[in-house]
Amino acid sequence: MVLAHRMALESPLVEAEAIEATEFRELVGRHNVSGVPQTTINHGARDVVGAVPEHYLVAEIEKALKKESGS
Amino acid sequence: MEGFLDNSLKKQVRLVFEDMKEPVTILFFGSAAQCEYCEETIQLLTEVTALSDLLALEVHDLDEESELASRYHVDKAPGLVIGGGRGEEIIDFGIRYYGVPAGSEFGALINDLLTVSKRESGLSEETLVFLAGLKEPVHLMVFSTPT
Repeated sequence: MVLAHRMALESPLVEAEAIEATEFRELVGRHNVSGVPQTTINHGARDVVGAVPEHYLVAEIEKALKKESGS
Repeated sequence: MEGFLDNSLKKQVRLVFEDMKEPVTILFFGSAAQCEYCEETIQLLTEVTALSDLLALEVHDLDEESELASRYHVDKAPGLVIGGGRGEEIIDFGIRYYGVPAGSEFGALINDLLTVSKRESGLSEETLVFLAGLKEPVHLMVFSTPT
């Protein structure tokens, strides 16, 4: 299962979309997808390229949330 | 239309689905206006959901059922929501797919259906603690290619 989907299953605050990049070119362009898989957190607050381990994605989500709250 | 899944694959998937516990519904959102891959996605999902009594497929239209689509935050077609339960009692976990779930995405979909049915994410204790402590929404878009 996609890691992001596992997180969505566990938390009502997490929503996760698996997007087939070749079918949604415009979206790929808008989010500057440079390699796949790419995980775009909160519409571009952070981008994670590559298949990353669980703890890494958690750390990136934390960074994205910190960046948004400005702290 | 000829099926996507051959008998040997159907057999494998049936075996995986034997471990399912709770019903799971796939809400499919297509668009009559513009959707190159909707027909084949419906065909594929019809074949997959036929492989277990615990699976159901609902076919909806993004434009004609815009209220339902926005309730599930679906804004593109083909769009899929993997929900828990069935009928009037569908639980939205926030699990979406956009595009034909073929190639490597097919395995991910089968796995998703099983995981949602069992309600077991398999995430580590640390991750679960982190998720339980979330106070703001987290939106994740995972771009991939069907290789």
